[in-house]
Amino acid sequence: MTTRKFTRRRFLKSTAAVSAATLGFPHIRTSYAAGKLEVGFWDHWVPGANDVLTAACKEWAAKEKVDIKIDYIPSQGQKNLLTIAAEAQAKAGHDMLAFPTWWPADKSKDLEPVDDVMKALVAKNGPVSPLIEYLGKVDGKWVAIPATPGSQIKGPCGRIDLLKQHAGLDVVKMYPAGAAPDKALADKWTWDAFLDAAVKCNKAGVPFGIGFGQTSDSVDTAGTIFAAYGATLVDAKGNITVKSDNVKQVMEYMKKLIAALPSDVFAWDDGSNNRWLVSGKGSLIMNPPSAWAVAKRDAPKVAEQCWTFPAPAGPKGRVQPYLPYFWGIWKFSKNKAAAKSLMMHISERAVVEKMVAASQGYDIPAFGKFNDFKTWAEEGPPKGTLYHYPPKPGQVLQISAYPAPPKIANQIYTQAIMTKMVGKYTQGGESMDKVLGWAATELEGFMRT
Amino acid sequence: MALPLILIIVLLVLYPALYSLHLATLNKGMERFVGFDNFTFLFSRETFWMVVKQSVVFAVTAVVFKALIGFCVAHFVHNVPVKGQRKWRGMLLVPWVIPPAMSTLAWLWLFDPSYSAFNWLLVKGGFEPIGWLGEVGWARFAVILVNVWVGAPFFMIMYLAALKSVPEQLYEAAAIDGANWWQKLWYITIPMMRNIIAITVLFSLIVTFANFDIVRVLTAGGPLDNTHVFATWAFKVGIEGSDLPLGASVSLFMFPILAIFAIFILRDITKRGAEN
Amino acid sequence: MAKSRSMKDDRRRAMIWSYFFLCIFVVFFLTPPFYMLLTSFKSNAEIASATSPWWVHAPTLDNYIELLTTETYLTFFRNSAMVSVLVVAITMAISIPAAFALSRMKFWGSGTLATGVFLTYLIPETLLFIPLFQIFVWVTEFTGIELINRWYVLVILYPTLTVPFATWIMIGYFASIPKELDEAALIDGAGYLQILTRIFIPVALPGIIAATIFAFTVSWAQFLYPLAFTTSADQLVLPVGIITTLIRGDVFTWGQIMTGALLGAAPPLIIYAFLMDYYIAGLTAGATKG
Repeated sequence: MTTRKFTRRRFLKSTAAVSAATLGFPHIRTSYAAGKLEVGFWDHWVPGANDVLTAACKEWAAKEKVDIKIDYIPSQGQKNLLTIAAEAQAKAGHDMLAFPTWWPADKSKDLEPVDDVMKALVAKNGPVSPLIEYLGKVDGKWVAIPATPGSQIKGPCGRIDLLKQHAGLDVVKMYPAGAAPDKALADKWTWDAFLDAAVKCNKAGVPFGIGFGQTSDSVDTAGTIFAAYGATLVDAKGNITVKSDNVKQVMEYMKKLIAALPSDVFAWDDGSNNRWLVSGKGSLIMNPPSAWAVAKRDAPKVAEQCWTFPAPAGPKGRVQPYLPYFWGIWKFSKNKAAAKSLMMHISERAVVEKMVAASQGYDIPAFGKFNDFKTWAEEGPPKGTLYHYPPKPGQVLQISAYPAPPKIANQIYTQAIMTKMVGKYTQGGESMDKVLGWAATELEGFMRT
Repeated sequence: MALPLILIIVLLVLYPALYSLHLATLNKGMERFVGFDNFTFLFSRETFWMVVKQSVVFAVTAVVFKALIGFCVAHFVHNVPVKGQRKWRGMLLVPWVIPPAMSTLAWLWLFDPSYSAFNWLLVKGGFEPIGWLGEVGWARFAVILVNVWVGAPFFMIMYLAALKSVPEQLYEAAAIDGANWWQKLWYITIPMMRNIIAITVLFSLIVTFANFDIVRVLTAGGPLDNTHVFATWAFKVGIEGSDLPLGASVSLFMFPILAIFAIFILRDITKRGAEN
Repeated sequence: MAKSRSMKDDRRRAMIWSYFFLCIFVVFFLTPPFYMLLTSFKSNAEIASATSPWWVHAPTLDNYIELLTTETYLTFFRNSAMVSVLVVAITMAISIPAAFALSRMKFWGSGTLATGVFLTYLIPETLLFIPLFQIFVWVTEFTGIELINRWYVLVILYPTLTVPFATWIMIGYFASIPKELDEAALIDGAGYLQILTRIFIPVALPGIIAATIFAFTVSWAQFLYPLAFTTSADQLVLPVGIITTLIRGDVFTWGQIMTGALLGAAPPLIIYAFLMDYYIAGLTAGATKG
């Protein structure tokens, strides 16, 4: 019986020939000759999206004779984080896991470097944004590769009719389907214009639904506005920079914005803004297209009026909140070469394109050459609503708390420091100095190693 | 005969607990021993003290209301004819039977900013809608309300059972002596039920204090951390914030607080047990 | 005569007030379940349209059909049922002998142990699950028995939550049995086992039923342990299964969630309706005897 294992050398040999479409392995007749592989992927919310990924994995497994076991781990109840924490601590579990944003950096010492895979992928699929590098590369080594499923941009999704009627904002003209943005209008699409529209819509009884709670949607939106004003809490070197004019400026902006939002936005979770839009009560939310997709199913009349477009620009540019997922291989994995081979396969253009289509355009792949898939142009109604959802040149992809060192940034993000600052300043009625002082002590606490 | 009991407690509770104790003395990256640093760090945090206060207020208020409602409802059920009791009991037990993680979702849905069915009623009645989970006061009220709702039926069945075991002759004798209902309650019912009240209160206090799912699902600690209790905050810093030692320290801090309650109540029970 | 009439009047008044208050409490207790029931008959579109939340305009059984015909949800049910039944059995097997030993056999440290058992509740699950994960990995390494991501791992874990309270209820009941009774039996030559099965278990039946109800509810409703220890869809139990499959990211399918919660509540409710009669009957029997 000839059973063979993947070897590192064999893997390296194949990556050396980067042009090869997939990493080839000699055919072996024995079934599952190349061992077992247990993989935990993110459980996609779009029905059927998991199936495409499963099919791609099965196809790979059949070809490479690997006995693959796939679990889909939901982010609901932070189940994926529980799994990551427990497996990292016990040094046992899956071979390869999906890691949300901060977790590759956090678990970097338990993750197998994947520079070889990343190098091959970038050569084939195009460059990744600096944000991906910030999150996935630790001490000069890639510890995970960006994954397509679950990676999302949380730009505005607004009501075409309500925005036009109450705020005089023609979003379809500004970001037309299948065409470049109307430069004159898009240049005027700033956070000030956003505030102006929010105030008008609030007066008309259809307020914007921007959460300021402690979950990801809220934190991402706040982070985007902070970044657009150049307000950083902690800089790249780990210095606390919260007591700055930029932060004060953005806080004043937030005060005006909060006044135009529903009163309970400090308790909103990731589902609240979706329901706000779907119920027809609101004119704009900041969310990936899941809210629109649900509206399409449950409230088609609302969905027909939804338009997804980039976030407004601030003094420091047009910052788009991007939340990438990653795939990483545990150091304790006994079949790392197989895992790397799988990574290559499910990052193939054809596979990724299918995944994006199956996600109804929700997933945003990290690689530069993947931003031209047809799905985004075709999804509707209204047709082309997602055309401006994937990032376009001139936009800055960022995540809340950037550019603080990821381990500190992770704390800022999970403890929702930015939305809490806004909450204390507005709902809590605390003075600016007190709020910034509070934030500074919290941030000092995050410097622990 | 108590060996299996000792075994599961040692293996599945005591050992992991000691391990957590060890964990709580490590640094964030879990590479080196830092002694009590995690605790001193916690003591310097405003949020930590808020969590301590909120946990105590949450647990005590919720348990008092659970016990009161359970006690009253048990009496009411006890007062109606035996034939009809089954129906009432069944209905009153429902909240306790639905897994709380799921019934809390129903509450979340009732409180939802866009779809709140309560607010719908308020608006129809000409009132302003309430930001149930958005305003600090209301959010605290909401988590306690849901906890009471889930837990009161448990008290009801425990007390109902205890009520049934109070011999009827005692009341009859008291009635002949001209005792009013208050005196009967104070001199017969409560003393007879004392043990069961103490145990259920203690048990509920502990479970409520360590509550995770209700707060987690309903408010996740918000707004502005005002509804966090120990377990949810420990989860936040330990799992979501990836600081297991700190999370373990937060959880461990529950122990001394609860131990004080427990020792008082248990001492009372064993003392009276010895008197008998 | 006059006195007995006034007592009757008292009773009547107490009863009427009782009915009155019971109605109020039933409204409080049943509003959420009632709302769940309403929602479970609504289609997603009706829920989204925000029409009157307290009325169903186009009732549909789709949510029920969907859940009851999907293999995944039936698996959740099956797993939950197996776990809960086994946990109840294990709880009884551990806590009855333990309560007997602690209440009757005075051995070194028995008093401390009785208190210590209860104190295990002071240690929350949030603290335990990481070390437990590690223990299970060791078990797998040494014995080859896979525990993580298997439904039966819950059967091992839940007794830590059920046994202490069950033991305590039972100690309470056993303590109320007069010592003379088992001393007499001992003199008659009965062994400990016979005393337990002939005297203690029958007398403590209400306690045993109370403990059963308790253990079943706790294992049926547990959330954190299954969330932490089971991952694959075929190993999940009901609460975690429903929540993780019906809430996807920021998308909630409310109709199905409510349906799932109601269906999940049904088995324990039916069991209790049945057990409660025995429970109460056992209690009253015990009371008249005493």
